[in-house]
Amino acid sequence: MSDFSEELIRSKTEDDKEESCVFSGTGMSFPWLQKHIGTVETGGKKEKDFAQTTSACLGFIQEALLKHQWQQAADYMHSYFQILEDSDSHKRQAAPEIIWKLGSEILFYHPKSSVETFNTFADRMKNIGVMNYLKISLQHALYLLHHGMLEDANRNLSHAETWRYGEKSSSQEVLINLIQAYKGLLQYYTWSKKKMELSTLDEDDYAYNTASQNMFDHSWKTSVNLRALIQTPGVWDPFVKSYVEMLEFYGDQDGAREVLTNYAYDEKFPSNPNAHIYLYNFLKREKAPREKLISVLKILYQIVPSHKLMLEFHRLLRKSEKEDHHKLGLEVLFGVLDFAGCTKNITAWKYLAKYLRQTLMGNHLAWVQEEWKTRKNWWPSFHFSSFWAKSDWKEDKALACEKALVAGILLGKGCRYFRFISKQDDQVLRKKIKQIKKSVKKHSVVNPGL
Amino acid sequence: MDFPSSLRPTLFMTGPLGLSNVPDMSFMCSWRDTLTLPESLPKNSENGAPHLSTVLLWEPETPGPLPLLPPGPDPWDPGVTAQDLLFRGGFPFRRKPQAVLDVTEQVSNPTVGSAVWRGLCTVTRPPFPQLSRFLWDHGDIAFAPLGKLMLENFKLEGARSRSKKKTVVSVKRLLQDLGGHQPWGCPWAFLSFRQRRFSILGGPVLGKSVASLLGELLYEELATRWEQLLLDDAFTGGALAWVPGRTAQVGQLVYPVGGALDKLCFQEVSLTPGGDPQALGDPGHIQLRGPVRQVVTRTVQGESLLAVRSDYHCALWKPSPAWGAGCLQPFRSRLSVDPPGWVMPLSCENPPPLETAPQNHSPCSLRNVSWAPPRPSPHPCWPVSPRLQQVYKDPETLVFCDPSPWRWADFTAHPRVLTVGDRTGVKMIDAQGPPGCGLLLFRGGAEASCQKGERVLLTQYLGECSPESLHPTLHLICTQFSLYLVDERLPLVPMLKWNHDLPSAPLWAQLLPPPRPGCPQPLLLGGQGGHLQLLHLTGEGASAPRLAGPPQSLPSSSDSLSAFPLLEPKSQWRLQERLKAPTIGLAATIPSSASEPVLSLFQLSVAGDVFYQRLHLPADPGPNSCASTASWTPQATACCSRWLKALLKVPPAPPVWAAPTFSHRRLLGRMEQREVEPKGPEALRAAMAEGRLLRRRDLGSLPSAEPPPTPEPGPEDELSTRLEAAWEGQLATWWERQQGRSSGPGRQPKRRKRRTQLSSTFSSLSGRLDLSDATSPPHSPDRASPEARPRPPVTPPSQESTQELWARDVPSERQQTLRDYMARLPLQGDTPQGVSLPLSQTSSIRATPSRPQTLPDGTAELPPRRNTLRGATVSSSQTSSIRATPSRQQAPVLSGSQPHRKKPRMGF
Repeated sequence: MSDFSEELIRSKTEDDKEESCVFSGTGMSFPWLQKHIGTVETGGKKEKDFAQTTSACLGFIQEALLKHQWQQAADYMHSYFQILEDSDSHKRQAAPEIIWKLGSEILFYHPKSSVETFNTFADRMKNIGVMNYLKISLQHALYLLHHGMLEDANRNLSHAETWRYGEKSSSQEVLINLIQAYKGLLQYYTWSKKKMELSTLDEDDYAYNTASQNMFDHSWKTSVNLRALIQTPGVWDPFVKSYVEMLEFYGDQDGAREVLTNYAYDEKFPSNPNAHIYLYNFLKREKAPREKLISVLKILYQIVPSHKLMLEFHRLLRKSEKEDHHKLGLEVLFGVLDFAGCTKNITAWKYLAKYLRQTLMGNHLAWVQEEWKTRKNWWPSFHFSSFWAKSDWKEDKALACEKALVAGILLGKGCRYFRFISKQDDQVLRKKIKQIKKSVKKHSVVNPGL
Repeated sequence: MDFPSSLRPTLFMTGPLGLSNVPDMSFMCSWRDTLTLPESLPKNSENGAPHLSTVLLWEPETPGPLPLLPPGPDPWDPGVTAQDLLFRGGFPFRRKPQAVLDVTEQVSNPTVGSAVWRGLCTVTRPPFPQLSRFLWDHGDIAFAPLGKLMLENFKLEGARSRSKKKTVVSVKRLLQDLGGHQPWGCPWAFLSFRQRRFSILGGPVLGKSVASLLGELLYEELATRWEQLLLDDAFTGGALAWVPGRTAQVGQLVYPVGGALDKLCFQEVSLTPGGDPQALGDPGHIQLRGPVRQVVTRTVQGESLLAVRSDYHCALWKPSPAWGAGCLQPFRSRLSVDPPGWVMPLSCENPPPLETAPQNHSPCSLRNVSWAPPRPSPHPCWPVSPRLQQVYKDPETLVFCDPSPWRWADFTAHPRVLTVGDRTGVKMIDAQGPPGCGLLLFRGGAEASCQKGERVLLTQYLGECSPESLHPTLHLICTQFSLYLVDERLPLVPMLKWNHDLPSAPLWAQLLPPPRPGCPQPLLLGGQGGHLQLLHLTGEGASAPRLAGPPQSLPSSSDSLSAFPLLEPKSQWRLQERLKAPTIGLAATIPSSASEPVLSLFQLSVAGDVFYQRLHLPADPGPNSCASTASWTPQATACCSRWLKALLKVPPAPPVWAAPTFSHRRLLGRMEQREVEPKGPEALRAAMAEGRLLRRRDLGSLPSAEPPPTPEPGPEDELSTRLEAAWEGQLATWWERQQGRSSGPGRQPKRRKRRTQLSSTFSSLSGRLDLSDATSPPHSPDRASPEARPRPPVTPPSQESTQELWARDVPSERQQTLRDYMARLPLQGDTPQGVSLPLSQTSSIRATPSRPQTLPDGTAELPPRRNTLRGATVSSSQTSSIRATPSRQQAPVLSGSQPHRKKPRMGF
């Protein structure tokens, strides 16, 4: 009966909820406006004392939290529990989530708090209001996991997994999937521990058989737990990684490939670079043909041209027999060096210097010109300014030499960067600089005749 | 560049804002972010304990910011505030606050008010009650233009017109005819034909056109002001910047001053490691032709660059030390006004006259956008462009339809790629690519689990700050509710989401370099109301960016009020208003030379005041160092007094609002007065007109005031009976009697039920916190089978009564659970002495003074901070009101003042 009336009240106050968040004509909401409204006192009834003290208390807790005054926050928190008996049912129903959020934060940072305190609080909160059971269980398990208490975390997740309330909503389903996946992850940890133990055992040993049997059981359970979640669109890197590792261990290469391919290429998933990296690493382990590897990295190149695997991609392309792969190899190197975070990547510069020479010797001046065409108006000041010449020379002479060679080839002998480096008199690098000068003279794309 | 090898699990959903069916996986807990999945097992088992030593806390040196510069000579007034426009009506409007034109007039038509509230300025129906009030009060304003138009048709004074023109009417006649009657007064008032004719002819003109024209204009103005009060995005990005000098200790603050904010000042400031920042000399300045909205500085390839955005203009300079002194020529650069949706790079059209400009003062290239910040590019590769170049054009908003014309742009890790943002999302576009291309970086929608009504307020590229710490591909996106970090390599999925809960719009953000090598990077977030939050971001190499430790709030300038001497109310109010003035700029710097990192923070208010505060990062924050011990130093209060003295010398702003003038009354005044008017008000009016003091005789025979009724000490006087009872030491019985008497028969049981339930909830919680482990495992793994649970070795005799107490009002379905709790709850009297407690328990028990004898080492240590902390920020009245909550019986935490407590508690 009381539940029913609560439901009625809830459905009624649902409309009021919108008003508590203030919108303008643009549909934008302004959370700070409530404060202004509170200051207007003409007419109308003031807030009830209860609501006033509660909201003041909430303010104090938040303030104390933001000042890292954990003990003070805890003291206020103690008084804040009165919101659980607010006569406004909407506020009352929103309260457990707020209490959990603030309370768990206090207990996480409070110098005198312990895992036991946190456990008690979490167990208590799970059962205040039905809507938060799954969320709190999951966070509680994460907390335990973080503290290295894997078994406790596992027990917690097992509890949550079997929990049901009312009709199974889609949000509940996702949460349960997530809980199961975390459980699977925990089982994976146990499994990998067992795997390590197994590697120390002798195969003929009796213990080996039981251990391997044990492991097998675990992996089966884990795969069940993980499979549901990783089919839901999202970023599930740790789950996918561990699932694939287990599948691979038991020789289910096709299963692993399917999982990874789906994770990388399903359009419902966000374009997660890691998905492609995992797939690539898997194929590499599997010793897949070069063509296949190139096709995977080609997609990664389109998503993240600055990724460090791009240098590996370049090497693959360089080794390939196809001409257009060779062209792409040059493009990839230029692409990597476009990014502000890669300007000091000496390997990339080394590759570019070497590959530029190689390309030019192979009579592919057009490729270089094509790449250079879109960059010639900004690369000189981006990479080859005299500021960089000085600072590169000061910080990393090898890098400066590689860059000078590229600058010389692309911009000619007159380029400031090249001129600065070639003028340097360094005992060790004298020979190298001489070589650079020679190759620049030979390969520079800038036609001295023009 | 490294990409995080394993990202945090996130659900990915597409859909509109506020999709309620999506569980918000970010949960908004700051601690959740510190949780990392144990990647490999052995490593995990080694350091199982949380790594709490990384919690960083910057300690302010004073409780609030201090003024850096004397107040400007221009008076300042806060103008229209939200309170001026908001109205809270009777009961039906209690939940629907409204913006109306006039607070004194109760709005009779709720739809008008709510229409304005929703910002619909297209409503053409004027708010009649307010408008008629306005026409009456400010008739001179409302009708003067019309009056001027019709001036030739009216003759204001003098004898009867002998003019041949039939179109001229004598006003005197009209007013005489009115005979002092107000037209809306008596309906039976005599109307002359002259009046009748004038009313018929003039009515449509004066009545309708004025009302509708004025109404529309007023509505428009009201809507604009209202929007501006809700969110003033003109200063997005901030109009204060720090230009580092040649040494770490000296730099320049660049900010606009003046009532119109059109004078750009360059103030040299020295930052001494031990003392407060000091302004060196007078600021140099440039007079510009428009208000400065944003000032940005950046060091590119060793050179400091300064960019300024005005409403329609942008400019970029290379500042030099010579700027600190001497006057500079105005510098013009122009950007044509573009329709919203156009994003354009900008270059300076007219360089300053060379003969007056220093050598290194020449403008250099700037890519920028209209309706967007003039941020100098971190990538020094844009050529000097002699003309504007269109980069992006889209009259529509990015994700969904939103009427806001706000656009924003910034750079990315790829020099050729820019981000373009509006209120609905952020897109990355290749400036040299074909038009129409691009990739959404952030989408206001279910992808980032945005709330309903959530809008982008600020986007900022974080990569340029320091390549050594965070990934140089991160973008900060701020909304009213949350802060997102998005990696441009993984669009749409935020790497981090934090609910900032700032009480004003976050329009400024600054990522600072790590204070110490290896430390997380501080990210300063500033709200329009002066609220500041400091977050610590970490995550380099192969780890995903995350919050390192809980965020921290910094004092705002209104916290400085206590440093000023107390003033008389009017000046105090003025000071308060001044300190509460909205912030329009923020600049922070951490000079690297100091042994202990010091963060110097400057804040510019719209009143033109620059305040500063210094925060230092203690080398080794102990676990208990969370108390803010800052207090005002004599120097600080002296500084404030000096500033205040200067402020009070500034003449106050002329009042925005003046009392209405009744010009027609002056005419009326010459006419015959009504005979029957009583003397008192007449004399009052005369005194007021002459502006002299009121005397007794002016007031005439006023009704003599009755003396106030003496308070009747009767049976109803609660206070005295309570005091009596307290005096006799029988307060408890009085309270019980009072309880029994005042509570309604129907209401009381319900409230009692709630309270008891709460108390029992809490006491069981707090009891378990300390004592659970002696007999039972920390969790109740199987709640469904209470029989299987181990009972405490000795069933205490007191337990039954305790259970009775708590169980009385608890719903039956929860009683079992609670009983299980209680059953495993060894109460104090019967805890076996000398029981060996697990190590983790001892620390918590040590803090409970009531049971020192059970401890192995027997040290009972009182936490000393509790009372002082409370006293520091909360006034005693607040404390008492908050402490007087139902859970009080079990409440006192670790205070030690009540030695008979049964269940000492921990945590809360």
